[in-house]
Amino acid sequence: MKKIQYITLLLCLIVGFSCAVDESCRTNRSVLMQFGLHHVNLTDTSRTVAAMTIDSLTVRGLVVDTLTGKYLNQNLDSVYKNLKSISIINVPLHKFEHMSVYEITFNNKIITGNKDTLKFINRKDTLTILHENIDKYLSLECGSIKIHSIDTAYTTHHFIDSIRIINHKVNNINLENIQIYK
Amino acid sequence: MLMVYSAQAQKLKIKAVPDSIKVPFFNGIFVQGDVASVASSFFSKGKTYSYEANVQADFKHKLFPVFELGYAGADKVTTDNVGFKTNGYFERFGVDLNVLTHKKDSKPTTNLFLVGLRLGMSNFKYNISNLTITDDYWGGLPKTTNYNNISTTKTWYELAVGVRVEVWKNIFMGWTVRSKTLITKDKDGDPTPWYIPGFGINNTGSSLGINYTIGYKFHLSAKKKPLDKVKQSTIVITK
Repeated sequence: MKKIQYITLLLCLIVGFSCAVDESCRTNRSVLMQFGLHHVNLTDTSRTVAAMTIDSLTVRGLVVDTLTGKYLNQNLDSVYKNLKSISIINVPLHKFEHMSVYEITFNNKIITGNKDTLKFINRKDTLTILHENIDKYLSLECGSIKIHSIDTAYTTHHFIDSIRIINHKVNNINLENIQIYK
Repeated sequence: MLMVYSAQAQKLKIKAVPDSIKVPFFNGIFVQGDVASVASSFFSKGKTYSYEANVQADFKHKLFPVFELGYAGADKVTTDNVGFKTNGYFERFGVDLNVLTHKKDSKPTTNLFLVGLRLGMSNFKYNISNLTITDDYWGGLPKTTNYNNISTTKTWYELAVGVRVEVWKNIFMGWTVRSKTLITKDKDGDPTPWYIPGFGINNTGSSLGINYTIGYKFHLSAKKKPLDKVKQSTIVITK
């Protein structure tokens, strides 16, 4: 009888402590769209694509008036500022608008198949992403986040040759969404 | 005493076989209230609360079908000021098995060591308020979402282990530890209830619970012979 009472008390204590509610959020709440930089190497007989490391790169968001389509003179901080040796870019999409525009400044040297060196200094491209924003509830501790679905992406071609959407869903699991080809 | 006479090759062997004790099919009904949930409600200061009671039948002192009924709720605000509110009734039914064995010639103990299974259900409404999203990079005003009066039905199963001890004439006390698993789960990204009446805090579809019950056992049978000794005076003679 005493043994049972002892076990009961012990169990109450163990369960009581183990059921203490932890209010910290352990889920990743960061939702970033990922660009992968790739180099297309064309020879007379083949076409190969490989990941490309850029010597230095700067990325900043451009605020656009959704009615007129003009860029507003609003200075946003750079997402990346003169970052060296980079092959992946992670950027936040607009949570409340359906269009996010980025200005990317490239500084890079490329050695061609003929072993010529091409230098690109302060080449600026503007990348425009049209997307849907969707509420995603995580938990009471973590709250909600905005995830996105990319509809369209287009770019200028001062440095970039082309882009391709490979994964439309942008959420809190980091995956490559868009490939940038040079 | 049961005597067995065995005749083999003109020899008569007398073998003593112990008396067997017949346990009636129906041994009464427990009516029990849970003290642990009341204590837990008191200490959580209204953040979560639960009150429950059950009725449990005793069949053959082995099988114990049970029906549990309760009322529970939660009113919680997180450090980020997100609110959750719910309340509702819940019910569970299932069966316990007494794993304590007794010798055939001895009276079974009234104490029980039970392992069991429950199926639980609750239909309730809940609110999640003040879910705020800010855009740290692009700026703009924060947007707040409220989910009001979401109606849902949740079902779950429970694996239970516990003991029940007769502390005084027909008054029983005991505890049960339960591992609960949700059967009905929400779609990823949907506003899931933080608390489910009867299930507890919904932490990725599983939960652990403890009950400490105090109850009374009613012997409803008119011929109250819970543990009759029946003598079998059969004489068996074999060649």
